[in-house]
Amino acid sequence: MRYLKHLQDIKFSPLALLDLTYIVVLLPLLLILKIPMLIFVGIVIAILIFKRTPTQKLGIFFIFILGVLALYLSLYGAFSFRGLSRLKLFLELLVYILMIVVAMQRLTREINFYLLISPFLFLALSLFFYHGMLMLIYVVFELFFLLWMILSHRMEGNVRDGFASSMVMFMYSLPWVVVLFIFFPRISFEHANYGFKSESIKRMGHDGTMYLDSKALLVPSERIVMEVGFENKIPPSHTLYFRGSILYTDKKDHWEGLPIYVKRETKPFYATTGLPIKYQISLYPTQKLWLYTLDMPSRMVKGSTLDRDLITTVKKPVKEPIHYEASSSLSPRFHDILDKKTLQASSFFDREQNPQTYKEAQKIEEAYISMPKRAKALTHFFKMRSLTYTLKPDALDINHTTDSFLFDTRRGYCVHFASSFVTMARMAGIPARIVTGYKADPANGLKNYLAVKEEDAHAWAELYIDEHWVRFETTSTASKVESNGEIIDPNQSAQSTSNSLYKEVNLYLMYVKYQVETWILYYSHIRQLQLLDYAKKNPAFIVSFVLSLIALVLLTFIIIAYFKRPQYSSETLAIMQPLLKRLKKEDHLRSDEETLHQYLLRYSNSYPQKLLIAEIDRLYEHMIYANENSKNKQKELKTLIKKFLKQKNG
Amino acid sequence: MNYTISPEFIPIIDAIEAHLVGKREPIALSLATFFAGGHLLLEDIPGVGKTTLAKHLSQVLGLDFGRIQFTSDMLPSDILGVNYYNQKEGEFIFKKGPIFTSFLLADEINRSMPKTQSALLQAMEEGIVTIDKTAYTLKKPFFVMATQNPHEEVGTFPLPSSQLDRFMCSFGIGYPDKASERAVLTGDTRQSSEKIDTLLSTVQIEATMQKASAVTLSDTLLDFLQEIIAFTRESGLFEYGLSTRGALALTAMVKSWAMLQGRVYATADDVQMVTGIVCAHRLHFKEGNTTALRISHEIFTKIHSDT
Repeated sequence: MRYLKHLQDIKFSPLALLDLTYIVVLLPLLLILKIPMLIFVGIVIAILIFKRTPTQKLGIFFIFILGVLALYLSLYGAFSFRGLSRLKLFLELLVYILMIVVAMQRLTREINFYLLISPFLFLALSLFFYHGMLMLIYVVFELFFLLWMILSHRMEGNVRDGFASSMVMFMYSLPWVVVLFIFFPRISFEHANYGFKSESIKRMGHDGTMYLDSKALLVPSERIVMEVGFENKIPPSHTLYFRGSILYTDKKDHWEGLPIYVKRETKPFYATTGLPIKYQISLYPTQKLWLYTLDMPSRMVKGSTLDRDLITTVKKPVKEPIHYEASSSLSPRFHDILDKKTLQASSFFDREQNPQTYKEAQKIEEAYISMPKRAKALTHFFKMRSLTYTLKPDALDINHTTDSFLFDTRRGYCVHFASSFVTMARMAGIPARIVTGYKADPANGLKNYLAVKEEDAHAWAELYIDEHWVRFETTSTASKVESNGEIIDPNQSAQSTSNSLYKEVNLYLMYVKYQVETWILYYSHIRQLQLLDYAKKNPAFIVSFVLSLIALVLLTFIIIAYFKRPQYSSETLAIMQPLLKRLKKEDHLRSDEETLHQYLLRYSNSYPQKLLIAEIDRLYEHMIYANENSKNKQKELKTLIKKFLKQKNG
Repeated sequence: MNYTISPEFIPIIDAIEAHLVGKREPIALSLATFFAGGHLLLEDIPGVGKTTLAKHLSQVLGLDFGRIQFTSDMLPSDILGVNYYNQKEGEFIFKKGPIFTSFLLADEINRSMPKTQSALLQAMEEGIVTIDKTAYTLKKPFFVMATQNPHEEVGTFPLPSSQLDRFMCSFGIGYPDKASERAVLTGDTRQSSEKIDTLLSTVQIEATMQKASAVTLSDTLLDFLQEIIAFTRESGLFEYGLSTRGALALTAMVKSWAMLQGRVYATADDVQMVTGIVCAHRLHFKEGNTTALRISHEIFTKIHSDT
């Protein structure tokens, strides 16, 4: 403890404070540095640690050369003037140059303007590279840290007092920040792109086309595509189909949607059956035009178009996270009267391409006349093929994909199942099409929050039966499920129980992150209006809001009071405080040079009738200076002071 | 400053005050310095009663009084004594100098050469005098009261700080207030030549000194003292801070002053009372004049007890 007490008294030199600041500010930026630059930073730190004298001009020149070399190696290949038109590369270059300059300045061991201003520049630059919630927290921390360091510097390196003062300043601002954040008018504007090109397009789990060959889209990544917040709890797992795009055309190795020049009849909007549920989606950049809605959307998403296949699209590709509200009725079917072109597109097949399948399909078509029965027979046929669901299928014969899948390899995943199912359905006389999108895993959900990951990308079939498009989960026809080389009975749940705690914690974090992102990071004018609207309807909400605001203010004051609390050299003095406060209230002020004894003496001289003061003074003096500081004496002092305070009231 | 002298010492102070009217505080402080076992440096202009104070203090305490008037041509042997050849006996005999006394008044100490001044050094610090390799022990108690005139500069040799550090306190006596001065002018006071009674025996003196050194310093007070010492060293106000000997002098003086008020423990008030006079000749402000009052003010507006 004594050692700790000693630690409190350490005064930091301005350079040490500056170094601390740099450590905090550079931490996130270190993650974007390339290895040569990291080595450069390491060398500079090593020099700073081992060489305790200012570096000479020659040494600084050497560091400069080293820095330029590191910069050249780091950006080798990417470095061209055309490359600079990309924002991130440009900023990276700026960070590197700034680091070299700071390293050169720091090695002189003198504080100058550049060194003082650079932490702020680094902070600003790091904001370009990260904009998640973690960075938000870190930025708040960084701002606090900068304030702390500045105050510590002002307090001649006293970090402890600096911390208390910066905490107080920080806390004072907190309620205002919250109130301003919620009520300050928000302006929505397009993101400026400063004339820089957008970053490289990322491949997403769901794409406009569906490949069956080795290019088959299989991105088993944990990356989150979208986050969904339901009004109530998450609907059952068999309804969590997020509709993306519809594919009509079989191009041997892949499926495509209808070309743009095919003009179909626009149909008046058919209301889907069932009670619609509402939900909000935060969609991360997909670089595509689709917005995802649960099967089947019942209302058009604001700012988008809903076509006759119930596919929602926007005019410009999604390049930054967007948030939209949607509502759907959870039904696997919807009513539609096909126009000629759609019928054509959904019935077309090439019988030469898959002769074996065609033969089998013909059998079904001949055996059953009613569409539902044909569909049932089709499903039965698939089940009988003892197909294996696996994420590591064997390559198909590209010219005869369906034959190859159904009669040869019999191994595949959603893409192969859907493709074969649709082809065969068409051959059996049922109009059919493929729907691609996501099938969410409820394991990624918590309360009303659901995360959809890239690995949830999915394809399924829709068959036109009795004037309805009906969803068919084609992968459910698989007799075996193979996962990581193991064969699992499809009837059993494939979820493993190991790591469940980790998963749960992770999910909770994601849930919190989603809430913060919805209500803080992407808090917008609309959210503001929403909040006001909600408040109008729920007076209880206003009360709880006001109450929590008061609680926040109270908390702030408690923290402030904690950091501003007076510290007395002894317990006895703390006992004396009520008395001293009273005297102060009576305008009997203690002068700068007075000891407590002189102060009390002066008081009893001006009020000779108060005999208790002299007694208190005597007792106090004995306790403090004559080492008679027992518990009993403390009690005695307390009672005396209480008595004195009461006397005044009477 | 508030203080109440213990009834035990009031007769002593009264007796001296009869000859030095209205100067109870310097008298009390001199007593405190004596009981703390230190030496005193009186800095004031001539004619305010420095010698009077010394003479009567020695009488009251019943100590042998020796006086040396320092002049520029004085030699160390004039203070310490000499070995002379006794032809009759045929051997060297040591003739003791005026330093072999209990109460030494070193008048106008800054008039002599540094060589002579330093002759006092060992004596003041250790109570031993060494002449021709023979050490002679001085009487106990041994108390040096030196005076110097701070305003005269011609023909003076300012005391080196090593010498100054050996004095526990330094203060002046100051002009008397109006009423006291009137009493002096009307001859209403006793003659300074008049002999006063001894009020303390050697045993009593010894016991009182014991009592002074046994005064309790609480942790709170030691913290306060250390803060003050640290302040003199770190504030940057002074050329250099208080030495450890200075710090020791301060605590001894605090204890003695507490004892003089009949207490067995020292308080912050005691510290406030004596800090100025203990530091006045030890510290030098980087800017402006150094006075006990200013030192006190600078320290105690920044270092607080009971907070």
